[in-house]
Amino acid sequence: MFAQVLFLMSAFLTIGCAIAVMVTKNIMHSCIFLLGSLIGVAGLYATLGADFVAVTQIMVYVGGIVILMLFAVMLTGGKDFVSRAQNLLGLAPAMGNKWTYGTGLFVGAVFLLTNVSLLMNVSKAYPVKNFGNEFPSTVSAIGKLLVKEHVLAFELSSVLLLGALVGAAIIARPRKQ
Amino acid sequence: MNQTLVSYLSQYEFYDILLGLFGKNEGFLAFTIYLLFTLAIVGLCATIGGLGTYAERKISADIQQRVGPNRVGPYGILQFLADGVKMITKEDVMPFTADKFLFYLAPMLALIGVFATLAVLPWSSGFIMADLNVGIFYLIAISSLVGVSVFLGGYASNSKWSMLGGLRGASQIISYEIPVTISVLSITLLAGGMSFGTILSHQQGTPINWFLFHNPFAFIAFFVYFIGALAETNRAPFDLPEAESELVSGYHTEYTGMRFGFFALAEYIEVFVVCGVGAALFLGGGNLPFNISIDIIPLQLVQVTVFMAKALLLYYVVIWVRWTFPRLRVDQLMSICWKYLTPIAIFNLVGNAVWMVMFNGKSIADLVFGGH
Amino acid sequence: MTPAQIDGLMPIVMLMGIAVLMFTGGHFLSLLLAPKKPSHLKSTPYECGELPVGSAWSAFNVRFYVVGLIFIIFDVESVLMFPIASVFRELNDMGEGLYVLEIFLSFISILVMGIAYCWKKGDLDWVKSYQVSLNNNK
Repeated sequence: MFAQVLFLMSAFLTIGCAIAVMVTKNIMHSCIFLLGSLIGVAGLYATLGADFVAVTQIMVYVGGIVILMLFAVMLTGGKDFVSRAQNLLGLAPAMGNKWTYGTGLFVGAVFLLTNVSLLMNVSKAYPVKNFGNEFPSTVSAIGKLLVKEHVLAFELSSVLLLGALVGAAIIARPRKQ
Repeated sequence: MNQTLVSYLSQYEFYDILLGLFGKNEGFLAFTIYLLFTLAIVGLCATIGGLGTYAERKISADIQQRVGPNRVGPYGILQFLADGVKMITKEDVMPFTADKFLFYLAPMLALIGVFATLAVLPWSSGFIMADLNVGIFYLIAISSLVGVSVFLGGYASNSKWSMLGGLRGASQIISYEIPVTISVLSITLLAGGMSFGTILSHQQGTPINWFLFHNPFAFIAFFVYFIGALAETNRAPFDLPEAESELVSGYHTEYTGMRFGFFALAEYIEVFVVCGVGAALFLGGGNLPFNISIDIIPLQLVQVTVFMAKALLLYYVVIWVRWTFPRLRVDQLMSICWKYLTPIAIFNLVGNAVWMVMFNGKSIADLVFGGH
Repeated sequence: MTPAQIDGLMPIVMLMGIAVLMFTGGHFLSLLLAPKKPSHLKSTPYECGELPVGSAWSAFNVRFYVVGLIFIIFDVESVLMFPIASVFRELNDMGEGLYVLEIFLSFISILVMGIAYCWKKGDLDWVKSYQVSLNNNK
């Protein structure tokens, strides 16, 4: 019973906030709605039993990315963060005409169809298992996979992060003229 | 593992009687039990937060050789209730330039972030609402909502003092999250799990089994954690976001009445949560200093008392530190975090890992007295 | 996750709900009890008695952003290290401690290289980078 309630709440939070991100005219507000949407996605992960992924979602996105986005918006320091509506419906601040919207709709439809057909096949090939009363902890499973099967990926991710750190430091450094 | 309050209570006989009363509907019974305990814990924590403001004034008065609040109730102990009533009956002023939506939302986010951490706080070995497999990791993650709320509070006010305080606050909170997380990581390494149940089960018995005394690195990790936690909760000497001598009142300069009250409540409860986590991770939590095999409810209540005593002792230290040390400068704040605490924390992590392999996970006490 | 374990997430949702209810309830009470005499001067942003000039929403120093960037990278590193740390004791008891320690140490050493680089180049300094940017503007 609660699983359904949690799923419905998370789904409504995710979709509602995602729509609000598009519709709102204030960029700060859309950052905050994005935060709500990301928390909703964490709730969806939790309903799937992926506790570690759910918490990682909160840790990285809510605690890190959203704050970084808020900082980035403040970095631009515009006088007003509210932009005028310029689209077809007069709602969202996006620019575009009927061609861009048409293309977007087409691409979205193609993506949706591909994803649905893919997921249908996957769910047929791998039916959801009934774990009974014992569900193994995802954390220790992830940990063992990281040190055994995927050890190279783990080490390489560290190199990737090193590159990101150095890159961030260099880009943000005051330039010599 | 992954024990919850309901699964703990279900081992007693009265659970079956209750189940009969609820018509064998386990979900509804679980809902009722959780609701009752959540309300009780929120009430308890709100009281602790309120008494925290009183304790803060009384201890600061003691340190500065004053009397402190002494009018409302015996020794002025009801002062926090009077403050609460005052907060409610104060006029709600909002700057006309403010971003109204975010101005409302910011204190609520702080409150949500702090209350959500209470779900995994281990009051005793049985009384823990949900002993998630990712317990401590979840706690760190969800409490970062407070950082967002501090920034939003500063931004939404559209006042220069608030803006500066909010920016400083957000960057300070995210910076000090790093040493805290890495210190917690070394305890995860020692305990072999992130859930509070696992962490506490390794610290049973006499204080020598606490993770604080597990090895020299864990001992240092406690201080790194505590200093980082002070900064994360914006407590002095790291209270730059609300430095009254330079920023008026920081990110809540423009907040009045009830909304200010909620910011303050969230802050004081967060300090208690941080102290409780410190007590659980390093000081053995609610474990009694002797091993008892029987498990009855009164014994659990004794454990709750022990946990509260440890947490409140740390709470006292937090207040003591606030009224003893001068405030840091912003550049000192950042260099302490990135140039001292983070390298020390990483050094501790490496030291703990090497210790685990070298001595096969034994603590100093095990090595000296022989055990396990 | 079985339904019983999903039920363990109930208190989290409840606590969040209580926070929202408490906030709105407190607001409602203050709406009933508090006086309401708005005036223009009362609702100007506080600037020690002066009338505020301009908006507070202006561009701020880039160093806050740098702190945010470095934080995210450390955040992701710690997220990756948490699962390894949780299985460290278990694998150590199985006699694979040295192997996991090697992996763990090489991961951390790459991270330490990153900090050492930033430290050497002065990206971790708060004041110095500011002075450099001042000199460059001349």
